[in-house]
Amino acid sequence: MRGFERTTEGALEAELLAEELGVLSSMNSQLIRLLSTGAAPDDPAMQRLLPDAYPDDAGESAEFRRYTEAGLLARKLENAATMAQTLEVAAGGASRRGAARLRLDPEQTQAWLRALTDIRLVLATRLGITAEDERPAPDDAAAAMYDVYDWLGFVQESLVQALG
Amino acid sequence: MARTVEAPIEESRIAEEHQAVDDSPWATIVWNDPVNLMSYVSYIFRSYFGYPAEKAERLMLQVHNEGKAIVAAGGREQMERHVEAMHGYGLWATVGKATG
Repeated sequence: MRGFERTTEGALEAELLAEELGVLSSMNSQLIRLLSTGAAPDDPAMQRLLPDAYPDDAGESAEFRRYTEAGLLARKLENAATMAQTLEVAAGGASRRGAARLRLDPEQTQAWLRALTDIRLVLATRLGITAEDERPAPDDAAAAMYDVYDWLGFVQESLVQALG
Repeated sequence: MARTVEAPIEESRIAEEHQAVDDSPWATIVWNDPVNLMSYVSYIFRSYFGYPAEKAERLMLQVHNEGKAIVAAGGREQMERHVEAMHGYGLWATVGKATG
């Protein structure tokens, strides 16, 4: 991947390999599946995506959920859909050697920031990451998933830096 | 640290009643988490709250180093809107009281 850079038209552009597009696309599909199953309140990943607004008051938290959850879920799904669509466009324009140019307008950039974050939050929950710089041993079964998590952090950082 | 001398009962009751009518401010609290990037958190404080870079950076570091920070204070409905927006960004945010 060649990280995001601002174009003269105010868009952000990065160059990714076909397999990198594939990783993003597959992670994003998993996010869409999770969000589409509706509220799964017992899933720790969903709890992290939609945390209690009043940590010491279950009643107030439930009330907050009642009027924010549907909207938040819908917007998170929209962001993921935008990510899927832009990835598809990039993959469609990939060169023969497999390099693709990913181009995001300001609105798509906002969707990407949020969807990438949601994907990383879900992955971190699944990996049981509770502290910064906590990584599994290289021979651990989770090591490959951690590498993906780590790389998604790099993509996110590149996006934020390009925004300035 | 110096201990607080407790006010006589009568005075503290009056103070409490006063606070109840006073609509004491609510707060938007952002908590540290191991996932969100420092640059992203700082970006959100700049772009969503419109804070100058220096203030955004200071609040981000407070979240990072102290575990949490009050990033806005005001009416309850407004704080709930902020918390909803923070959840949209993927930050761990809660509504609380601005005063202890």
